[in-house]
Amino acid sequence: MNVLMWLGTILLILMILIGGKNGARSFFALFFNFIVLLITILILTIPKADPIIFTLIASTFISCINLFYINEVNSKTIPAFVSSIMTIVILLLFIVMMTEKAMIQGFGIEELEELGMFSLEIGVDFVKIAASVIIMSTIGAITDTAMAISSPMREALHHHPDISRKDLFTFGISIGRDILGTSANTLFFAFFGSYLALLILFKDLTYSFGEIINSKIFSSEIITILCAGIGVALIIPITAWITAYFFKSKRGEKILKSENRT
Amino acid sequence: MLSFIKKMSHRQLVFYIFIALCFVSSVLFVHYNYSFYERPIAKVIETKLKDSSETTDMHGNKDRLYSQQIVAEIKNGEEKGQLIELKNEYTASGIFDQKYYPGTELFVYINDSPQDTTTLTGSIQDVKRDKYVIIVAWIFIFILLIVGSKQGLLSIISLAVNALILSYALDIYLKTSGTSLLWICAVSVILFTVISLLLVNGRNEKTYAAIIATLLGTFLSLLITYFVMQLTAEKGLRYEEMQFITRPYKVVFMAGLFIGSLGAVMDVAITMSSSIFGLYEKNNNISVKALKASGLEIGKDIMGTMTNILFFAYISGSIPMLLLYFKNNSPLMFTLSMNLSLELARAMAGGIGIVLTIPLGLYISIFFINRKGVKS
Repeated sequence: MNVLMWLGTILLILMILIGGKNGARSFFALFFNFIVLLITILILTIPKADPIIFTLIASTFISCINLFYINEVNSKTIPAFVSSIMTIVILLLFIVMMTEKAMIQGFGIEELEELGMFSLEIGVDFVKIAASVIIMSTIGAITDTAMAISSPMREALHHHPDISRKDLFTFGISIGRDILGTSANTLFFAFFGSYLALLILFKDLTYSFGEIINSKIFSSEIITILCAGIGVALIIPITAWITAYFFKSKRGEKILKSENRT
Repeated sequence: MLSFIKKMSHRQLVFYIFIALCFVSSVLFVHYNYSFYERPIAKVIETKLKDSSETTDMHGNKDRLYSQQIVAEIKNGEEKGQLIELKNEYTASGIFDQKYYPGTELFVYINDSPQDTTTLTGSIQDVKRDKYVIIVAWIFIFILLIVGSKQGLLSIISLAVNALILSYALDIYLKTSGTSLLWICAVSVILFTVISLLLVNGRNEKTYAAIIATLLGTFLSLLITYFVMQLTAEKGLRYEEMQFITRPYKVVFMAGLFIGSLGAVMDVAITMSSSIFGLYEKNNNISVKALKASGLEIGKDIMGTMTNILFFAYISGSIPMLLLYFKNNSPLMFTLSMNLSLELARAMAGGIGIVLTIPLGLYISIFFINRKGVKS
């Protein structure tokens, strides 16, 4: 058995020990997400497959797995799902604009040497791929934050059925503010860990500050971190608004009623 | 607008004015900072498409090759104000190259030329990207401040402080050749945890419980990973594709794993301790058994989503490299094991840390509550 199998087995056992059925489900969600990601990458190798469109399709599948498979379709996950997709679309537009302007797609000069054996004229639009990478690395945090806001909003509505739409929204925002710091931290440290080798390289090559900030690799990493932060912040008002709207709409009230009965 | 300003306290007003001043001055600075660079910078004035042709590589991938004639104006140095002629060749996929537009700013190399010619010639070295980094940074700051207000400000501060600590720690590592990166990271991890959690959550017992749970969880998951790596002699880990490596790769990998899972583990620890303490504060007579049951229930809910966050943050970075491999007709399994083994190992090690922190956070919080119960 190799390292990955060992770690995977340990993770599965721990998840089942602590989480029971939910734990096993979380582990399989991870596995399904991996499959979705892999299929998306394979589709992107087909010429003329637009990376933006397929990123959106993949995001929809991944949000379904993270929200509907792990939890189930209910009054909490529906608004969380709609908000996640909306945030992803807005974020995607912004990121495509920024990657195009800052020209951070593809690989940096520092990587040219090790890529020597590859053909680089492969007919895939790497500007769009760069945008897709940033969205994909944030999507886990986006769906998590959406769920973490819509779930307590449902509780608040349960305890105060007469709460107004505006109060519900304000409550959602205050919940979001409390988790913003830790969600952002989770992503920041994940990126710090991934970029450690890169940071050491820049220090070893004794790049000047001006060279570092303008280099493709470093600026693309910084822009990724910042866009991820923007994503987890943006999902907060969007989820609070959509959930408040949904709970007070006719369709939402219908679903809430049927849930209360069971 | 006016009533909005009147409602703000004096301190808030000063803070907003300060932020606005920083914003304006930094944006102005990056737009006119040419003279601070030693490398010549040229701003593209005019571009002309000279040539374009269809290419097919040895794997049958179709692409388009373009050639562009550029006239640009030098913005700094002795040749400031003079025009320079540049040539740019780019592909439609743009892995290493790109199309330039009027207004793009480039770092260029100026060829030595005879005195009498009016226009210079040269070659393009890189794009000037500082403008965009600053703009995205400001959008990030504004959105975090608008959405998160005080909490937003605290997360910006925590990001900045942690980045500084990391940079300083790496400086120490590179200057003192004897010390191990892992030891330096261990010290930094303690600093990161204490600072981030104190910033996000304030000085109270909830935070102390979360700090202890985070540190135990991270060290334990690192230990397990290290043990597994020793046991299997690192079978299945492919370090060849680890990018930008100038130092012993195994240590860098372990250190990255250490730091990478820290944020997620902190998140779990603080969620656990906040909710346990919250339950206790609501009802001081709650039994330990009930606390354990609710704690585990909360833990189950967050475990799946937290491992997901780490998974996507790690794996997504490999998408461009995977595409390049696939398009160069590399076999599926070879491509995956070459490019994803380290990322998957990292994601799973982080997942182990997350799951372990759930009971750790639970029992440490209960321990703190029991001690408090005895006191009062």
